[in-house]
Amino acid sequence: MSSLKSILRVFLIFLLAFAIYTIYTGSLTGYDIVTGVLVSIVVSVVFSGMIIKNPLKPLNAIRWFYLITYAILYFTYYETKAHVDVIKRILHPKTPVNPAIIETYYNANSDYAITTIANSITNTPGTVVVEIDETRKAFYIHWIDAKTLDPLEAKREIFESFEKFARRIFD
Amino acid sequence: MISVLETPIILRVIGSALLCLGAFAALVSAIGFHRFKNFYLRLHAATIGSIWGSVYPLVGSAILAITVEELGVYRWFVAGASIVAAFIVLILAPAGSHALARGVHKAKVARVKPCIADKLDPELCG
Repeated sequence: MSSLKSILRVFLIFLLAFAIYTIYTGSLTGYDIVTGVLVSIVVSVVFSGMIIKNPLKPLNAIRWFYLITYAILYFTYYETKAHVDVIKRILHPKTPVNPAIIETYYNANSDYAITTIANSITNTPGTVVVEIDETRKAFYIHWIDAKTLDPLEAKREIFESFEKFARRIFD
Repeated sequence: MISVLETPIILRVIGSALLCLGAFAALVSAIGFHRFKNFYLRLHAATIGSIWGSVYPLVGSAILAITVEELGVYRWFVAGASIVAAFIVLILAPAGSHALARGVHKAKVARVKPCIADKLDPELCG
């Protein structure tokens, strides 16, 4: 059973590497397919153990559905809201800022979910993750407009919906 | 002339709009670097330059490249390389921002100023 799982793991990473290679080169000539397959086999055999532990997770269609929903929502709604807010602050004559480093607590277990939440927070202008304490499950976030110092309220303001999606995708 | 009529004009409009948005965001980001007076505030301006300033226009250039039929088969190369570059910027730019912020805060190089509170190290506040 475990050997079947490791074969599936290698195969999934092979698909990922080959897809990236094909998209990057943008061609399906015989030469590109042969080099792509060779490179992907080497990469997948060496790195599959590091990249995924449970090969059944990437095959779950519900996770992919949440990933696509999250991507669309994130790139249209959340990014636009945060960008407009910070652009207003930059172009305002007085550059109004109200910054603080606040402490909030996340509630995710896998490394991928934590990284997704932290990257989502840092990728929205106005919030940068300064430090992560994994034993206390705490994010220390530099927030350009600290509306509150309370951990729970700050979480609701900044990343509650990111966490909801990240847990459904990766946990 | 025929090739212009055959290409879906809506894709060209979307691609050009994303490129214009990128130019605007890069300019605002540069202005923000000069107007904000503190290291941590400048990081927020840099984020505008990395997401609206490079991820969105890279996706826009991919959409635009698909419609330019003069490029022949190479338009798929331009589009694919743009998409992969956008994805890499998307996952690595925040890692860079975080590393800078964490390093500066740990080494106590810059103070958080102005400051409401600093829960990580209250000495660096103000």
